[in-house]
Amino acid sequence: MKIVLYLHMHQPWRLARFRYLDLGSGRSYFDIERNLGLFRGIAERCYRPTLERLLRALESHSEFRLSLSITGTFVEQARAAAPDVLERIRALVRTGRVALLAETYYHSLAFLLPPPELAEEVALHRQMLRSEFGAEPKVLRMTELAYSDDLARFAEAERFHGMLAEGWERVLRGNPPTYRYCAAPAPTLMLLLRHYPLSDDVGFRFSSRDWSEFPLTAEKYASWLGATPGELLGLFMDFETFGEHHPAASGILNFLSALPAAVGAHRDLGWATVDEAIVGPPRDAISVPYTMSWADQNRDLGAWLGNDLQRSAFEAVKKVGVVVRQAHDAAILTDWRKLLTSDHFYYMYVGGHGGDQGVHSYFSSYGNPYDAYANYMNALSDLRRRALDRLGVPILK
Amino acid sequence: MVGWEWPPSHTGGLGVHCFELSKELTRLGHRITFLTPFHGPFTPVDGVTFRFPGEVRATADREYPPAYWSGGGPNVPVDKAADSYNEWIADLTDLGPVDVVHVHDWFGTVGGEALARRLGVPLVMTVHSTEYDRSLGHPWDHILQREQSGIDAATRVIAVSRHLRQQLIDRYHADPDKVRVIYNAVRPSQRLERIDPTKRVVLYVGRLAAMKGVDTFLRAAARIVATFPDVLFVIAGEGPEYPRLIHLAAALDIGDHVMFLGKVSDEERELLLAGSSVFVLPSVVEPFGIAALEAMAAGVPTIVSKTSGVAEISSGAFQVDFWDAEEFASRIAELLEYPTLRAAMGEQGRWEALREGWPERARETVGVYLEAMEALGRRP
Repeated sequence: MKIVLYLHMHQPWRLARFRYLDLGSGRSYFDIERNLGLFRGIAERCYRPTLERLLRALESHSEFRLSLSITGTFVEQARAAAPDVLERIRALVRTGRVALLAETYYHSLAFLLPPPELAEEVALHRQMLRSEFGAEPKVLRMTELAYSDDLARFAEAERFHGMLAEGWERVLRGNPPTYRYCAAPAPTLMLLLRHYPLSDDVGFRFSSRDWSEFPLTAEKYASWLGATPGELLGLFMDFETFGEHHPAASGILNFLSALPAAVGAHRDLGWATVDEAIVGPPRDAISVPYTMSWADQNRDLGAWLGNDLQRSAFEAVKKVGVVVRQAHDAAILTDWRKLLTSDHFYYMYVGGHGGDQGVHSYFSSYGNPYDAYANYMNALSDLRRRALDRLGVPILK
Repeated sequence: MVGWEWPPSHTGGLGVHCFELSKELTRLGHRITFLTPFHGPFTPVDGVTFRFPGEVRATADREYPPAYWSGGGPNVPVDKAADSYNEWIADLTDLGPVDVVHVHDWFGTVGGEALARRLGVPLVMTVHSTEYDRSLGHPWDHILQREQSGIDAATRVIAVSRHLRQQLIDRYHADPDKVRVIYNAVRPSQRLERIDPTKRVVLYVGRLAAMKGVDTFLRAAARIVATFPDVLFVIAGEGPEYPRLIHLAAALDIGDHVMFLGKVSDEERELLLAGSSVFVLPSVVEPFGIAALEAMAAGVPTIVSKTSGVAEISSGAFQVDFWDAEEFASRIAELLEYPTLRAAMGEQGRWEALREGWPERARETVGVYLEAMEALGRRP
C-alpha cells in the first residue's frame, strides 16, 4: 500500500472594505497590507516550520514522498511577504520526491464558467509552476477538489494523466477508495481518491479533545494506515493543517515529523507522489455526472453556491465577465479573476440559522455573510464600470 | 346616515367606519347628511353635512334636548337619551332630496325607521355588533328591541361578517334574502398618505433627541439622494432636536427627500415598517434599541450603530460606527441596490428577532430573582 500524501497551499486575495460610496473612486478592492500581514503570520506558524520538517523527513527517509498544489495567489503573496517560503518549497522540489499539481491560478470557480476561462487559468498556473519551481505537472486538481465527468474530459483534452477526487461512497458504488481508477468518459485519465475518514482524522479531528482517539500518535495512525486494505491511500488535506488549523501546541508538527518513521515500521506501507500513483492499470471506471467536492456533508458545491447570496454573486461575476473580456485590459481581467477565487463565495455561506456556521466562520474574513456579499458586489459593480468605461459605454447612475 | 360619533371624537370603531365610508361615498358622487347625537367638532369632509340635536335649540311649540353626552354627558338614562335622539330624527326637516336612510347599530333605529317611512325611501341598516355579544349574553331589553325593530324594518341589512350575518338570521330571525355582508377595512393614516407610494422608504423611528444620532441619518441620506432619486428618508418621532434637524435637512439641501412625520401611533408604525425597504438606528447612545428589533421582526433589513444594545443579538443586521455617516450611507445604498441582500437580511433579521421572546426574558428574570434570594441566604 502506497500512501499518497497531498497538501494544498492557498491564500486568497481578501477584499478590503469597499464601500458603495467607493464606487468609481479608483481604490483597490484588495487590502494588500492586511493580506500580507496575515500571510506573514501563517508563514511563521505554519509554512516555515512545516516545510522545514518535510525537508528533514525527505532527507532522512529516502522512501518518503509527497505532493503539493500551490495556487498563484499564494505565490504572489509569498513573493511579497515571505519569499523564503518559496525558497523552501524549491528545496523540496529539488529532492525529486515532491510532485506539484496543476490547478487554476486563482483557486477559482472558473470550471463553472464558459470556455476559455478554465483553460486560460490552468495555463497561467502551469506557466507559474514552470517559472517558479521548474515543474511540469501531470495531475490536475480542481478548486475544492471539484470533480465531474465534464472536468475529466477537460483534463484529458489538456493532456493531464490524472486528476484528484473525493473518495465518496456514492460514486464508488461498493468499490474501495484505495485503488487507482479511471474516468468513465476519459479512460486515459487516472483518478486518485481521497480517503476522507483517514484524511479527516488529521485534518479535522487531530486536536479535538472530544474525539475518542485523542491524542493521536504517529504510531497509532500508521497502524491504521497499515490495517487499511488496498494499493493507494490518498491523504489529501490543506497544508495549513500543520501549525495553523491545529496550532503547534497541539503536537501536530511533531506528529508530522514522526510519521515517516512510524510508517517505515510497517513493512507493506510505502509512499508515492501523485505522478507515481497514476502509473498502472485502473481498477474500474468511475462516472460522476454532477460536480462533487471535498466539502461538508453533501460533498457538493453548497458551501460556495448553496444560498441566494452566493448564487446571485456568482451570476453577477459571470455576467460582468462578458464585458471584462471585451474590454481587453489586463488589470481589469486580473481583478475579475481575483474575484472568481472560491473563498469570496465561501464567506457568503449562511448556516441554516445558527447551527453549522462553525467551520465556515472560522475561515471567514468577515463578521457575517451579508458584509461579505455587499462588499463583493460593490467591488464587482466598480469593476463593471471600469470595463464599460474602457469600452466607451456611458455609465448610467 | 344615522350615526354615532365622528372624528376627531374617537372612542370606538363606529365613528371611523362612518368617516371612511362617507369619504369614499362622496368620492363616488353621493352626498350625505350625517346625523349624530354629538355636537362636534366634526372633521370636515366635502359633501358631508352634519346635523345634531343642538343645532336648532327650539321651535315655537317644542323644546329639544341638547347634544347628547357632549362634554361629559348629562345624567340621562341611556334609553331616555336614545328616545329623544330618535324623536329629533323622526321630526327632521330641511333635508333636501333623500334616496336612502342608512342607520348604524341600534341607537338611531327607531328615528331612522320613522324618517324613512315619512320620506318614502328605503331603510338600510348596518349591524356592527349585537347586544348579545356586547353584553356577553345579558342583553338589555330596550336595546334588543331597538335592534330588532331596525332589522325588521330595514329593506336591506349589512353585516360586517358572515358570522354576524348568520347571527342576525338565527337570533333576530332576519330574512336571509335581505342580509348582505360588507367587511370593514383599514386605511393608512392621512399622514402616511403623504408618502408617495412610488418611492422606496428608508425609515427611522424614535425620539428626536441628540443621543439618537438622527443627524447622522440625514448626513448619510445627503450622500446618496442623487444616486437614489426614488427613495424617501422618513423620520417618525418627535423631540427636542426637531428644529435643528429641520435646519440640517435644509442646509444639506435634501428637503425634498426627507419627510418628518412626527409621532406615529402603533398602527402607523406597523404600516410604515411594512412599507419600508431599510430601517436605520444610528444612535450614539442606545441601551437597547427595541425599534430596531421591531423592524427586524417585521422583516425589514436593519442597520444599527455598534453602540446599540440590540447589536449584541443581531448578527443579521449591518453594524456601523455611530459617527460614520459615509458607512451608514454605503450600507443603506447596498441594501437599496442589491435585492438579494435585502431579502436575505430581512429573513435572517426576522428569525433573530423572533427566536426569543418575552417568555424567555421572564424565565431569565426569575433566574435573577433566585440568584438574589440565594445571595441573601434565602431558600426559594
